[in-house]
Amino acid sequence: MEEKVMLVDVSKCTACRACQVACKQWNGLPAEKTEQRGTHQNPPDLTWATWNLIRFTEVPTKEGNLKWLFRRDACLHCTDAGCMRACPVPGAIFRTPQGAVVINQELCIGCKMCVNACPFEIPRINAETNRAYKCTLCWDRTARGLIPACVKACAMGTLTFGNKEEMIQQAYARAKALGEKATVYGDKYVDGTHVIYVLPENIRLYERMKINPSIPLSVILWKDVLKPLSVLAIGAALVGTFFHYVIKGPKRPEEGGNEHG
Amino acid sequence: MAKPKNLILASTAFERVIHWILGGSCLFLFLTGFGLMFHSLSFISRLFPPIPYLAAGGYESMKLLHNLCGLLFAVSFLPALLIWGKDTLFLDKEDMEWFKVMGGYLWEVEQVPEGGKFNAGQKLFFIALFLVWVIMVVTGIFMWFPVLGPSLTRWLYVLHVLGVLILGSFLVIHFYLGTYGNPGTFQVMGHGYVTKAWCRKHRPKWLRDVEAGRRSI
Repeated sequence: MEEKVMLVDVSKCTACRACQVACKQWNGLPAEKTEQRGTHQNPPDLTWATWNLIRFTEVPTKEGNLKWLFRRDACLHCTDAGCMRACPVPGAIFRTPQGAVVINQELCIGCKMCVNACPFEIPRINAETNRAYKCTLCWDRTARGLIPACVKACAMGTLTFGNKEEMIQQAYARAKALGEKATVYGDKYVDGTHVIYVLPENIRLYERMKINPSIPLSVILWKDVLKPLSVLAIGAALVGTFFHYVIKGPKRPEEGGNEHG
Repeated sequence: MAKPKNLILASTAFERVIHWILGGSCLFLFLTGFGLMFHSLSFISRLFPPIPYLAAGGYESMKLLHNLCGLLFAVSFLPALLIWGKDTLFLDKEDMEWFKVMGGYLWEVEQVPEGGKFNAGQKLFFIALFLVWVIMVVTGIFMWFPVLGPSLTRWLYVLHVLGVLILGSFLVIHFYLGTYGNPGTFQVMGHGYVTKAWCRKHRPKWLRDVEAGRRSI
């Protein structure tokens, strides 16, 4: 099956939040108690039951006006996914043939390693079930040829879903059309994400947008360096003691007849 | 057990029991920890049944038992510190001499420095165990309850596996020297008695101290 990518053209978003609602509806996620923080961003952050959140940022301009920026935040479905590197349970986080990264709550043990290894701070824990949750890129829809629920609900054409190469081409064409400031975000990081943004404004203006995201150094040291080294060290100790016995022999007390045990 | 003739008590029953609890919890932590670290060892997870109200069996039970056993390891090291700390945590000049000849373990040495109750190698092992205990308990608790936030917590994983590296290799050597490498030594952890010949070979100064009544054990 061909790799698929969701394109988020932020310049077209009107923050209607139909995607946010459609996500909840399709995935059967409950509504949550929220708080009034003087913004439309609601709930304030991603949660175990909110996998898709429109983030609102207010940016004062030089002319004394206000720019109101909207961004859909959700899992980016990395090709080199920190959560997958960290997860201790085989199959608890798996990749679909289309490239989505999915948590299987039936296998998840609530260790929270994915939460801590994700460079985008995406997976969230449900304290009651002690399981991790996040966007699945609607793999249960896309496997049958449907588009993700959020894309289906998006009336503005902000969200589109299609073959990877085509979407990347479209992203760059759109960024070019939007002018100098616009950038494409995603295809260059963590071996390419399966959600790609076109950002009309400077990336620093968007809430929680990670600049130059990559697999954390700690995760690389943990999984790629010290983990194999620990096996090597223990193996070396085993081999070393074995040959010590064979070559040097045990250290016996002088009077052999008196020993025991 | 009545005091056997010609044998010397090298460790009390309390010390032996603590040694077994510490060693047993350590082995269990390695078993479950390796099960959590290597997908290829997933068969280990199948040993663990569901725990009512707490874990669904397999990996979830294995993780919970790893965490609980970590608490046992953490607590059982406290008496260990009282038992062995005073004789092992402080290195002196003679210990440096011991390291220079590696205790006579690697090449022929005419006179191995006597040491006290424990030689410099044993001291180093306990110091390493002490450091790893601190690392494993602190990182383990904050991995279990990750209140420090992702950017700090992921460095705890690095330290935790560093502890595995240090403790794992030290333990292999510890097992070897306590059994096949030094015949007669295992009974220090078994019934607690060693022969005088063993003492003269491994801790002559301690034997003189005990026989002269300068120390009881």
